[in-house]
Amino acid sequence: MTLETEVQSLRQVPMFRDVDPARLKLLAFTSERVQFAAGQRFFSQGDPSDAAYVLLDGRASVLLNTPRGEIQVAELSGNALVGEMGILSDTPRSATIMAAEPTTALRIDKRVFLELLAQFPQMSLAVMRELAQRLERTNAQLVAQSSS
Amino acid sequence: MEKSLFRYIWTHSKRDQLFICFVVLLSQPFYFISLDLPRRIVNEAIQGEAFKDGNVTAPFLQLHFDWPQWLGGGSIRLFDGFEVGRVGLLIGLSFLFLFFVVVNNGFKYWINLAKGVLGERMLRRMRFDLFAMVLRFTPEALRTVKSSETATIIKDEVEPIGGFIGDAFITPVLLGMQALTALFFIMVQNVWLGLMALAVIAVQFTVIPRLRRELLRLGKERQLASRELAGRIGEVLDGIEVVHVHNAYAWERAEIGSRLFALFSIRLKIYNRKFAVKFLNNFLSQVTPFLFYAVGGYFALRGTLDIGQLVAVISAYRELPPPLKELIDWDQQRLDVQVKYEQVTQHFAEDRLGPTIEAGADAEDEPLAGPLVAEGLGLPGPHGDMIVENASFSLELPATVALLSNGSPAASMLARVLARRVRGFAGRISIGERDLTQLPLSVAGRRIAYAGVDPIIFPGSIRDNLVYGLRFKPTATAEADKREIAQRIAEAARTGNPFESIADAWIDLTRLGLKDEQDLDRVLVGLLEQIGMGESIYLFGLAGRIDPERHAALAERLVEARNRLRETFKSNGMADLVEPFDIDRYNDQASIAENLLFGVPVSDEFSGRNLADNPLFRSAIDRAGLTDRLVRMGLQIAETMTEIFQGLPPGHSLFAQFSFIGAEELPEFQAILRRRARGGHDLRREERTRLLALPLAYIEARHRLGLLDDSLKEQIVEARSFVRDTLEKADATGVEFYDPDGICMAAPLRDNLLFGRVNYQVADARHRVAEAIAAVVRELDLLEDVERIGLDHEVGAAGRLLSPQERASVNLVRCLVKRPDILIIDGALAPFDEERAGRILQALLEHFEQQSLFMVLSNDRQSAAFDVQMRFSDGRIVTEQTADPHRRAHGPGAENAQNIAGEVA
Repeated sequence: MTLETEVQSLRQVPMFRDVDPARLKLLAFTSERVQFAAGQRFFSQGDPSDAAYVLLDGRASVLLNTPRGEIQVAELSGNALVGEMGILSDTPRSATIMAAEPTTALRIDKRVFLELLAQFPQMSLAVMRELAQRLERTNAQLVAQSSS
Repeated sequence: MEKSLFRYIWTHSKRDQLFICFVVLLSQPFYFISLDLPRRIVNEAIQGEAFKDGNVTAPFLQLHFDWPQWLGGGSIRLFDGFEVGRVGLLIGLSFLFLFFVVVNNGFKYWINLAKGVLGERMLRRMRFDLFAMVLRFTPEALRTVKSSETATIIKDEVEPIGGFIGDAFITPVLLGMQALTALFFIMVQNVWLGLMALAVIAVQFTVIPRLRRELLRLGKERQLASRELAGRIGEVLDGIEVVHVHNAYAWERAEIGSRLFALFSIRLKIYNRKFAVKFLNNFLSQVTPFLFYAVGGYFALRGTLDIGQLVAVISAYRELPPPLKELIDWDQQRLDVQVKYEQVTQHFAEDRLGPTIEAGADAEDEPLAGPLVAEGLGLPGPHGDMIVENASFSLELPATVALLSNGSPAASMLARVLARRVRGFAGRISIGERDLTQLPLSVAGRRIAYAGVDPIIFPGSIRDNLVYGLRFKPTATAEADKREIAQRIAEAARTGNPFESIADAWIDLTRLGLKDEQDLDRVLVGLLEQIGMGESIYLFGLAGRIDPERHAALAERLVEARNRLRETFKSNGMADLVEPFDIDRYNDQASIAENLLFGVPVSDEFSGRNLADNPLFRSAIDRAGLTDRLVRMGLQIAETMTEIFQGLPPGHSLFAQFSFIGAEELPEFQAILRRRARGGHDLRREERTRLLALPLAYIEARHRLGLLDDSLKEQIVEARSFVRDTLEKADATGVEFYDPDGICMAAPLRDNLLFGRVNYQVADARHRVAEAIAAVVRELDLLEDVERIGLDHEVGAAGRLLSPQERASVNLVRCLVKRPDILIIDGALAPFDEERAGRILQALLEHFEQQSLFMVLSNDRQSAAFDVQMRFSDGRIVTEQTADPHRRAHGPGAENAQNIAGEVA
């Protein structure tokens, strides 16, 4: 796998869909590709948020701490972006991410990511658009829940 | 120092001056003979005057002395000489001439050498005297003394004085004699003409120095201005951060610019004046012949003076101006140098200096214990008011004392008084029978330690800084050539310099109860661990370089540790964490340069971008047939970099962090790429070199541009032997090659342990590898050895390579290691957070059960652990004994289990 394939993966992420290819290449180049063994944690709930990850290969579980122990609430696979909310809102990790099988991910460093956003308005706009869409979806879900 | 330069020179060099003077006088007859010989060769040998009475032979080397008439006349015959023919006389006289040329030059050589050496010796003495005075500056004077100004004084300003010293007495004597002889000759010929010449000389010697007074004033001004310039440059450099932060470049530029203009203006005035004086001087010396011609000619016409006399006078006068001119130049130089000397001595005025530092005489050296009594103590505050007035207290030492400031500066002031950092206080403080202020320096330096807010760190290793307080005097002389030592000491004796050499053993290990240096290192490391700097020192050790001679034990076991680490990785399923260096395999985690060299560059010509330009390296990769492939790879990298970094403003931090190409080089690479896109295929040599540099830094696993395929990797691995062969054939020592069974001294200890590169692509690899290293280091009991290497870590100018906490720790350990009877701490724990400060405080209290500890605390929170609390209010001092100082039980076990893993780069 090379930078090119990573750029292809980044393009699949909704947040980066409309970003200029050269910028995505920069984003990929300034990120690190890391491999996690099965059961290895990307990060744990409550950790400070220092990076976001794009899953390139493999699967990862999203775990939440509950009084009864950790429970799995979702599973992530190819081209999923995870941990981006923490670095944008500067809050601790809200969940634990654990590799379910040998997994490869692109680690986007928080500082680098924020610098890229500061430098390229097009990227910031893409991120805002994605966040706005998520908010809209959440609102729609709330409406659906309250009306049912 | 002596007020007058000449007194200084005379006091310290009269013997040498007189001796050189004597030799100069001795050389004069030889000089005159050599001047006279050409005449004799022409007259006697060539023109044959010696043979004019029809003699076939003439005497050669005849030694006759004719007594002057007033001594009764007659002559003494010492040697009648050899009778030789015409050719014989010519050859003989010529060789005699050659002989005198050699003798004269020999004299000249010796005199110049002696003068130069004398000047250098005096310069050395003067510099050393000045430096000795630097050490004596009082704390009050230090507030106004600028370090860079003082440095230029000692380095630059005294330099011309040194050059002058060799000429100080000899030149006026010699030239004065020559001038007097000529004048005397004129006087003998004709008194009136002589008096005329004398009158002009008198004018020269009175008017010109007067005109030069202004020059001296300007010289003084110039010296001060250039000294201030040096001072200002030093200040800007010291405070460069503020200049950067506040964008004060323009102001600083203007400031220096105006100083340079002021300097220029002074110089201009000096030149104007100087050359005007020179003009007058030249004019006056030319006026005398005019008078001789006019007046002397008139007398000659009148018949009162015969023409022969006039011609003799004029030719004698020709001899007069050169020595006079030189004499006047010398006088100018003398005044110049005297002014400089005065300026220098003013900087080191007596009122700025403390008492003379006595040379290491061993005073009574007993522990500072017993009652500490203060009577009628008055401490001045920062604004000149008294913050403590007529206070008294007494306590029994050893004790731990908390000086509770509660916001008052008095606690800190008392701490400084106890540390003898402040002299201006009223009252009397005594320890036992002894007055604190009267303690000899040698005792105070050994028995009292003080750690203030600003840790002062000297450039050098951490170890150098820690043992700084142990170097009182050498205990043993270093092994060295006996003759060299004798010469060094003889020179020191002649110049008032110290006899000790810094190569000697300065640390009295037996006084500290230690066996050897290794023992000392152990103590240092132990103290650093207690202060909580164990992890830093361990990490410095891993980053440090191993010296097999000094760290023999570690060197022996390093390969064992390396293998053990490898086994640990294998058995714990961590094999993919580190890719080991293997002579037969390409290492994906290392750069292409590293893969090609299979070693570590030791010299600059093999490191970084220089490698691409290194002819040996280039010829090796040429032979391996790699150059073209790598240049093509360079083009690809340049293409990708220009594509993805386009649009980032130059100077953006991402450039520095990630790009192969600096922002300023981007246009040049773009130009190369454009030219190629247009079909230009030939790359210039320097372009090829530039392109070649790019792939050399390329690490496949990290940069992931997919530029390396298996065949290229194979080719690179094969090229290793070419590189090694080429370098070894050329006897180049720029690279130390990896050896799986040996130590690579050029590589950090950590790399020697790993003997490979941490995998970039495994999550959390660095941390896990660091833990594994720490485990193996512990297992093999190498921790102390690693930390000893950490002691070699360089601290940088003013300790800038250390963090504030590390600086503070070094400062504290420097105080602890000399085991003072009294340690005074005033703000030295400020850089630490509260928890760590608390732990350090506990460690200190445990350390000082037998000795005394004074510590300035801002509040009561931790004072209960001290034996005595000292409070300051309304100008009074109140002491309270703690009934039972409850010290937290503190198991050493918990402390020693320090975290030493860190991260591996």
